[in-house]
Amino acid sequence: MSDSIGPAILTVEGIRSGYHGVTVIKGLSFEVGAEVFAVLGANGAGKTTLLATLARLIPLTDGGIRFRGEDVSTLQPYETADRGIGYVPQEHGAFPDLTVFENLSVGGMIGDRPREERMDEVLDLFPDLKALAQQMAGTLSGGESRMLACGRALMQDPMLLLLDEPTAGLSPLYVDMFFEKISEIHETKGVGIILAEQNATKALEVADRVMVLSLGEAFLVEGADELTTEQLKEGYRI
Amino acid sequence: MNLDWLDAFLLFGTFQVVMVIGLALLLHLQLGLARIANFGVVGFWAIGAYAFGVLFTKVDWSIGEPWPFLISMLFGTVVAGLAGLLVGWLIADLEIEGVLVGTLGFATVVAILVTTERGLTGGALGMGGLSFPFDIGKTKANELLWFGILFVVVGAIFYYVWRVHRSPYGRLLIAVGDNEPLARSLGKPTFQTKLWLFAIGSAGMGLLGAINGVMVHLLIPEGIGINVTLAAIVGLVLGGTARVWGAVLGVILTVGFFDIVVQSYLPLPRSWYTQAIPVLREMVFGAALIIVLLVRPFGILGDMRRDKLIRSTHRD
Repeated sequence: MSDSIGPAILTVEGIRSGYHGVTVIKGLSFEVGAEVFAVLGANGAGKTTLLATLARLIPLTDGGIRFRGEDVSTLQPYETADRGIGYVPQEHGAFPDLTVFENLSVGGMIGDRPREERMDEVLDLFPDLKALAQQMAGTLSGGESRMLACGRALMQDPMLLLLDEPTAGLSPLYVDMFFEKISEIHETKGVGIILAEQNATKALEVADRVMVLSLGEAFLVEGADELTTEQLKEGYRI
Repeated sequence: MNLDWLDAFLLFGTFQVVMVIGLALLLHLQLGLARIANFGVVGFWAIGAYAFGVLFTKVDWSIGEPWPFLISMLFGTVVAGLAGLLVGWLIADLEIEGVLVGTLGFATVVAILVTTERGLTGGALGMGGLSFPFDIGKTKANELLWFGILFVVVGAIFYYVWRVHRSPYGRLLIAVGDNEPLARSLGKPTFQTKLWLFAIGSAGMGLLGAINGVMVHLLIPEGIGINVTLAAIVGLVLGGTARVWGAVLGVILTVGFFDIVVQSYLPLPRSWYTQAIPVLREMVFGAALIIVLLVRPFGILGDMRRDKLIRSTHRD
C-alpha cells in the first residue's frame, strides 16, 4: 500500500459500516494527505457508502477515523464539517428551495474568513453560478446543480473535500470542465480531495493516488501513475 | 366610550381570526420552512391556556395586579415551550408520518388529561375565573382592548417570522426541510435547530392559548378540539405554506369567511349556530382545501418565496 503524499490529514483504520445490519465497508484502512485520492470501483463496490461514512452520515460498526490527529469516529456530521471535512453527495447536493446565492450562503455558515471573500472565490471558480445567483436551485440543470453543490462545500473552507461521483450522468463537456476544476481546487486551495469515481480514465488524470474498492474491501492502494489496466480490470472484476 | 356600533359577534370573530393567524404563522415556520408536520397545535395552545389558568386561579397571590396575571401568562408560555421541547425531542428525528401521529397523539393526551385532572382543570365542567387584567368599563370595551393586545402580540409574531425568513437561521430551516441529511453536513446541528424551533413555536402557541382563555373566560375540554389545529393548518396550506403572507391570507379566507361573514352577516336561523355551522365550517374548509390544492398545489400564493426577499438577501 502506498503512503499518503505529505503528512496524513485523514487516517482510516479498519472501518466497517453499512445499512440496516448489512455491512458494505468491510475493514478498510488507508491514509490521505493533501492530495487527490481517487476511489475507484464498480457499481456496488461501496464508494458512496465509504464517503458518507467519512462524512459521518453513516455510523461506524468498527474501526476508527482520525482527522488531523483528532478521533472523529463518534462525532456528528455537523461537527466533522466544522472540523474541515466538506461533503458533496452524488445526488441532491443542493437545497432546491433556496436560491443559488442562498445555497452558497448556508454553506458559509461556518468558517472564519469573511463570507463575501469565500463567495467571490467560489464564483470565480464557477463563473456560471454568478448569472444564476437568484435562481432557485431546484430549477438548475444537472451540471449546474453539481457546480453549486461543490461550491457550497467549498464555502465551508474545508481541509478535505469528499466528492462522490461528481460527473455521473453529466455531458462530456461538463465532465471535462469538472475534472479541470477538481485539479484547480486542489492546486489553488491546497485542499485534500477524496474523489469517488466510475470514470477511471478521467479520475486517473487528476489523481495522485488511487484506491480500487471491490465489494467493500481495498483491492489495492497505488500511485495513480503506477496503476495498470490489468489491476484495474481485476479490481472491477471485469 | 360608546361601542354600540361594534357587533359582539364581529369582535369575537375577528379575535378568532387574528388568533388563528398567529397560530398559522408559527406553524408556517415549522411546516412551511422546516417541514415539521405539527398536527398538535391545539395541544400546545391548550397547555398554555390551562397552565395560565391553573396558576392564576389556584394560587393565593399575595402580590397585587397585574403581577399575578403577567406571571401566570409567562408561566403558560414557558410550560407550553417546555412541552414543545419534550415533544420536539421525541419527534425531531422521525419521518413525517411519525411526526404527524406523534403530535396528534400529544394533543389527544392533553385533551384527556384536561378532562380527567378535575382537581386542577375543572374537568368537563371547565375552569372559570379568568378575567381581564384591567377594567376600563363595559365588557365590550374590555374585549376591544384585549383584542388590541392580541393584535400587538400577533403583529410581533408576524415580525419575528418575517425576520426569520430573511435571516441565515431561516435559510438553515429551509435547508433542513429540503434535505436534512445534507443539512447535517453544513456544520450546524440540525436536531437542536429543529428542537428549538419547535419549542419556541410551542411557547408562542401557548401564549396565544392563554390570551384566548382570557377572552372566553372559561376553559372547557370542548374548546380544545382538533378544529383549532385544522383551522391553522387549512388556512396555512390554502394560503401557501412557504409564504409568510400565505398564513394571513389563508386564515382570512377560511376562518374569516366563516367566523365573520357567515356568522355575522348571513341571515341564518339561530338554531344553526350550535349544530349546523360548526359542521358546515369543517366541510367548507375541507372542500376549499381540496379545490385549492388541485388548482394550486402550493397554495394560493404559490411555493416561490418572494422576489423581493431574494433581492433583499442579496444585499446582506
